[in-house]
Amino acid sequence: MSDATSTFSYQRPVGLTFGVLIVVLYVFLMAPLVMIIGASFTESLMIEFPPKGLSMQWYVEFFNRQDLVDGLLMSLRIGAITAIVTTAVAVMAAMAGQVISGRLSGWFQLGMTLPLLVPELLTAVGLLFFLYKIELGRTVIGLQMGHILMSFPYAYVSIAAALRQVPGSLEEASASLGATGWQTFRLVILPLIMPGLAMGAIFAFINSFDLYTISLLLKPLGGNTLPLALFDFLTYEFKPTAAAAATLSILLSIGGVALVQKLVGLQRAF
Amino acid sequence: MATVEVRDLRKRYQDFLALDGVSLRAETGQLVTLLGPSGCGKSTTLRCLAGFLEPNGGDILVEGESILSTPANRRGFGVVFQNYALFPHMTVAENIGYGLKLQKLPKGEIETRVYDVMKLVRLDGLGDRLPREISGGQQQRVALARALVLKPRLLLLDEPLANLDARLRDEVRWLIRDLQQQSGITAFYVTHDQSEAMAMSDMVAVMKAGRVAQFATPREIYQKPVERYVADFTGEANFLSCDEVAVTGEGRYSIAVAGTTLDLGGVAGITSDTPVELLLRPEALRLTSVDEATFRGTVTKSAFLGAALHCEITLPGGGVLKLSAEPNANVRTGDEVGIAIDHSHAWLMPEVAP
Ligand SMILES: Nc1ncnc2c1ncn2[C@@H]1O[C@H](COP(=O)(O)OP(=O)(O)O)[C@@H](O)[C@H]1O
Ligand SMILES: [Mg+2]
Repeated sequence: MSDATSTFSYQRPVGLTFGVLIVVLYVFLMAPLVMIIGASFTESLMIEFPPKGLSMQWYVEFFNRQDLVDGLLMSLRIGAITAIVTTAVAVMAAMAGQVISGRLSGWFQLGMTLPLLVPELLTAVGLLFFLYKIELGRTVIGLQMGHILMSFPYAYVSIAAALRQVPGSLEEASASLGATGWQTFRLVILPLIMPGLAMGAIFAFINSFDLYTISLLLKPLGGNTLPLALFDFLTYEFKPTAAAAATLSILLSIGGVALVQKLVGLQRAF
Repeated sequence: MATVEVRDLRKRYQDFLALDGVSLRAETGQLVTLLGPSGCGKSTTLRCLAGFLEPNGGDILVEGESILSTPANRRGFGVVFQNYALFPHMTVAENIGYGLKLQKLPKGEIETRVYDVMKLVRLDGLGDRLPREISGGQQQRVALARALVLKPRLLLLDEPLANLDARLRDEVRWLIRDLQQQSGITAFYVTHDQSEAMAMSDMVAVMKAGRVAQFATPREIYQKPVERYVADFTGEANFLSCDEVAVTGEGRYSIAVAGTTLDLGGVAGITSDTPVELLLRPEALRLTSVDEATFRGTVTKSAFLGAALHCEITLPGGGVLKLSAEPNANVRTGDEVGIAIDHSHAWLMPEVAP
């Protein structure tokens, strides 16, 4: 079997045009990142690339700006709560999804990913009206609910996939050995889906950290998430502080992705 | 340790009737095998016993008491799965100790019991390995140990040898039987392999499309099947159709077949209008000289198998008899030969049980 796979991986290098295409694609994807990261280290007063000189002053400036730091903290807090809540709910939903069989199961899956399919703006507007109706308009709780809603599908998809890998006979074996449903969940299912679960949590966090439209509409009084704070900032000042903030966000995402990669590796081990 | 009785068990999947009145009984310490082709309802029966499925009708009694309302985790039955169902994130020792840990036994006791059972199934020294780090045969023994360490009232095994290669299968088969007999545990064993069923069981239930076609000892199943289906599924068999049947006593018949008359035993209750077949197991047949023979025929196939010579002989009426001859017998395709039969191994049975 390893022979078969190695034949594939050692096949002749792809054609030249295809190679060029891939390089172009990467340049296209990476250019904004490289520029913004580069610009964050400039000594000049404007966002520019290539940077002039090398300095950390805009990072210092970022952490001295109360509005941006508040935004960062708010985003981190909302992201963390989103990750925890979506993961817990997604585990329950995914387990329910396994019990549902036949045609209904497809509809259930679709329902769970609906927030991905409906345009974010529509969800945001709908949620805005709803939140005002239940008197949570312009509150942090309302914003938090919006983030949970928008991030839920990511956690669900990842966790449901992990759960599908756990054969039903393991649950039966556990029961036959005397375990209650809860014990089976804690001792067998949870450890086995842990990589998928952590992955779901990280995706949910990154997604929440990134949300703009829904945050804009549900923005609580006197509070800003980092993307909103950055946008406000850029409206009045075009300083490399924004580039520093963006770089920090990018680092956070890359850290998350690296962690996911590591977890995917773990998942394969089973 | 328990007597188990399955009464008229029924199970329906949507509009498909998987079990249509299954009745079985296992006395204390017996190993009862469910034998039958794929899809006949063996696993469904076992899963009802284990408590993984709820039957639509009938009852399951252990020591005379219904257990249908007892959930799987409180039945105290050990289950061994075809795919072993070992917990992949736990070591061998953790897998085996899982049930003991749930019972909150002291750590020391868990360790000694796990150690003892590992020795019993010859897994010494593998306690720290993960399931994926040991061979299929070893995984199978972990599954067995995990169930046995709890001293279950009843052991349920669903095709436990199906994923093993032939050599290991033999070894694990005897291990299972020895352990079961030593511990005096009552067991239900599912298989589609007739030799496995014959060799291991106290009782065999041959299943046919959600019913039990025959429930008897391996010997009776083999020698006195109630219908052709059972005979077919329990080993090599020759069938001849009979021209005339006369009842000569209780379960005794006189038949006209392929130009001769035979007196023989058969299933009770056959009348002269029952469609019947004569069962001749290969070992009831012997090549002989033409003048001493019960049947005469032409050899249409002969193959040297090492320990025996496999022959197929076509009778003048068109019937074909397969038998094993002595390996050095001088038999060639096209030869006219005689066949003597051992009357005590001939058996008359209906084509289909009423
Ligand atoms: N969950 C299910 N849903 C529908 N049909 C099933 C299900 N499980 C088993 N069956 C059907 O019931 C019949 C008996 O199955 P089973 O007991 O597994 O047979 P086997 O004798 O091979 O173990 C088969 O025809 C199978 O297709
Ligand atoms: Mg089966």
